Amino acid sequence: MLKFLRRNFAGYAFLSPWLVGFFLLAIGPILASLYLSFTKYNVVRPPQWIGLEHYFYMFEFDDRFKKALQVTFTFVVISVPLKLIFALGVAMALDKGIRAIGWYRALFYLPSILGGSIAVAILWRQLFNYEGVVNSVLSLIGIQGPYWLADPDYALWTLIVLAVWQFGSPMLIFLAGLRAIPQDLYEAAEIDAAGPVKKFFAITVPLLAPVIFFNLVLQMIEAFKSFSGAFIISGGSGAPLDSLLFFTVYLYNEAFSFLRMGYASALAWVLLLIIALFTIVAFWTSKYWVHYENERG
Amino acid sequence: MTDVSASTTAEIAREYRAERARRAKRAAVLKHIFLALTSLIMIYPLIWMLAASLKPDTQIFGDIGLWPGTFEWQNYAQGWNALPVSFTTFFWNSTVVTVLSVVGNVISCSFAAYAFARLEFSGKTIWFALMMMTLMIPYHVVLIPQYILFMNLGWVDTYLPLIVPKFLAGDAFFIFLMIQFFRQLPRELDEAAMIDGCSPFKIYWAIIMPLSLPAMATAAIFSFIWTWEDFLGPLVYLNDQADYTVPLALRSFISSDGVSQYGPMFAMSILSILPILLFFIVFQRLIIRGIAMSGLK
Amino acid sequence: MASVTLSEVRKAYSGFAVIHGIDLEVQSGEFLVLVGPSGCGKSTLLRMIAGLEEITDGTISIADRIVNDLPASQRNLSMVFQSYALYPHMSVRKNLAFGLSNLRMPKDEIQRRVADAARILQIEELLERKPRQLSGGQKQRVAIGRAIVREPQLFLFDEPLSNLDAELRVQMRVELAGLYNRLGTTMIYVTHDQTEAMTMATRIAVLNKGNLEQIGTPYELYNAPKNLFVASFIGSPKMNLLSGKATGNKIELPGFGALAFVGAAGEMTVGVRPEHLSIGEPDGRRAEGTVTLVEYLGSEVFIYVALIDGQTLLAQAPGNASYKRGDKVHLSFRGADAHFFDSKGLRIEAPR
Repeated sequence: MLKFLRRNFAGYAFLSPWLVGFFLLAIGPILASLYLSFTKYNVVRPPQWIGLEHYFYMFEFDDRFKKALQVTFTFVVISVPLKLIFALGVAMALDKGIRAIGWYRALFYLPSILGGSIAVAILWRQLFNYEGVVNSVLSLIGIQGPYWLADPDYALWTLIVLAVWQFGSPMLIFLAGLRAIPQDLYEAAEIDAAGPVKKFFAITVPLLAPVIFFNLVLQMIEAFKSFSGAFIISGGSGAPLDSLLFFTVYLYNEAFSFLRMGYASALAWVLLLIIALFTIVAFWTSKYWVHYENERG
Repeated sequence: MTDVSASTTAEIAREYRAERARRAKRAAVLKHIFLALTSLIMIYPLIWMLAASLKPDTQIFGDIGLWPGTFEWQNYAQGWNALPVSFTTFFWNSTVVTVLSVVGNVISCSFAAYAFARLEFSGKTIWFALMMMTLMIPYHVVLIPQYILFMNLGWVDTYLPLIVPKFLAGDAFFIFLMIQFFRQLPRELDEAAMIDGCSPFKIYWAIIMPLSLPAMATAAIFSFIWTWEDFLGPLVYLNDQADYTVPLALRSFISSDGVSQYGPMFAMSILSILPILLFFIVFQRLIIRGIAMSGLK
Repeated sequence: MASVTLSEVRKAYSGFAVIHGIDLEVQSGEFLVLVGPSGCGKSTLLRMIAGLEEITDGTISIADRIVNDLPASQRNLSMVFQSYALYPHMSVRKNLAFGLSNLRMPKDEIQRRVADAARILQIEELLERKPRQLSGGQKQRVAIGRAIVREPQLFLFDEPLSNLDAELRVQMRVELAGLYNRLGTTMIYVTHDQTEAMTMATRIAVLNKGNLEQIGTPYELYNAPKNLFVASFIGSPKMNLLSGKATGNKIELPGFGALAFVGAAGEMTVGVRPEHLSIGEPDGRRAEGTVTLVEYLGSEVFIYVALIDGQTLLAQAPGNASYKRGDKVHLSFRGADAHFFDSKGLRIEAPR
């Protein structure tokens, strides 16, 4: 017993802040949130058990919930691939010892580091104003831009552009991944008379697949979680006509504007399950298309 | 005879090499043009915001130019005092929250990382797996129970909900980053220190920490940037304008219907991202390496 | 100075045994070398003595005190690591003083000991440098210095010379032996290099696959190896091994004919060291063969001879011997120089 204690003491001592945090701020809240999702709770009166009612209501009657799902999925499905394509394209242009790479890298990464800030969200609102800069630029080439922020058909695009603009961090990860591809593979391919397109699909893509996969999972989770941009640009409500009603925005309003904590908890659990599902699917399908370097054939 | 043919082969080879060099040069120039144009587009909105912060209100909308005709420096003075509470308070609030968060993150995450990377204790693999899982959990899922917890502790409208979790190693990303770094340090150093009479804490403090300054700096920088930009946390927990952090204060510009104050709004937006910009310029290398390191391996 | 006693020491990693019950007695003031091929468990054994690795079973005592549950820092020993493990962020002086300051030793005492060690190892002018500014040999000296400032009762060395180039290795070997003579402290030294073991040790322990094969002085190990493993591991170049069949009072060796030997039956192995194989004396037991390779080393010559049955033997001849590839030669040896091993590979003493 004493020996057991001594062997484990240091490890658990160092781990203790994390352990407290894990139980109090992570796993505890997750379980509490599951419980709350089965109750009616408005902070003032104690939770009242109602079973699965919230979940039934959500899927049967709640059109805003469905709208929120639709908006979020559309955003994820369009913005993540665009972002990754951009990131990979720029990373490939930056690869192979180009001059001033440090400058380019820094410039391309800058938006990612500022992108989450309220300042940028505010800026975006002005850029996409009907009389804003984006439409001014479009009018230079003879296009009359839409009411970006007021037209439900276009509002989401402002956020997609905002997301794609922040392609910096997947780009850096791609860059590191490209560096890890042995140069002699390309030389061998050149001797085998492969053109640039062939080289890209026969060498770059398969060898970069683990990195692409990593970026895909990471960016998908990030996209599902994104909040401040949509919150600020939609004025906090998901307007116009709920076309910016991101799942997180809906959840926030249910919880903190209408104090429907129980229902918001149910929404939170749906979000958790969606993200978990996407992650699992990504991992599960990865074995069909991801080639790991140390894998034995 | 042989002489002549030899010289022609050499000439052909030289010709071929020159042709190749020309083509490589042309490709490099094209690449530079592509990269320069893209980075200009990337950076344009930020420069536009800087320009807008110095333009008179009437000139801001739709003006795609980057050079203010007249420099309205008083935008900054006006913005600073545009809200009932001056920005001095907001910046001070943000600084307090951010500095304490950075300190908390670095200490608590390095503790946990040291336990995971260097110490032996039972259950380590399970805790590690759970720690990695928390990387995926969206803040929105734990938000409501955490709010209820902090509300019952009477912590709403204080900075405690924003700071205390940082001392409990809540951000698994930093733990992961540090583990990666610690693992690169040779284990024989720890063992030599053990024989030299060091306790686990002394090894952490006298050996591991001094050798991990780059990793600590990286974590500190990211922690700084994310806390400084954090919007949702302050939005939920801070209701009194005198307690606002800078991002919350910025948001007041849009919601308070002070619609005509675009110049001052952009002036404050610029000031709000200035610390991040400075950090980015100074620590660019560490930031970029940090992304690549935590992403791969 | 302290004796070290291992009894029935075992080590298993999640059920997989790597050390199978080792008994070992290291006397006070002895220079014991643990030697064996890589993966034999010698480093694990050393690390268990040091307290860096827990023992699964058995007891280890240092100076008659059982240290099984004692942390490394309280075993009063020093260790020199293969990679030196110098603290990269500390100057040489701090590296040397670090362990002493952890013992809360008075400052002037620390200074005195550091100065002494630096003088002995001739690293006085390096004291203010950082490890990355040192050459391999200098790092090695600092690592040894860090070990001796503590004036421990036991020194442990984990392949300390394997990162040095050949010339430096020989030089450090001499210096280490000199240091041992000067300090007289008990030393346990791990290496895979049998030359290092032979030249420095007062006694050698040969390990193989987690078992102790033999322990003895270099002389004993060379002249009376207990089994085939020790016979072929100790000595360079290796002992020649001939397989034969014992029938009552003699052994039938292919090529060499019969060899008188009483008291064994069945498959046998006869070992002959290269220096005991003589060439060109066409009397008694001799085998005929063809020279396939000649290695000239100056003071001596190694001659590879292929026997008619295809087996290649190695013979050592004086440097002035002149043989060349293709020569037909006769090999012979004296029965008294041969080592005999039974079918299990264990030594059988030849009856005198």
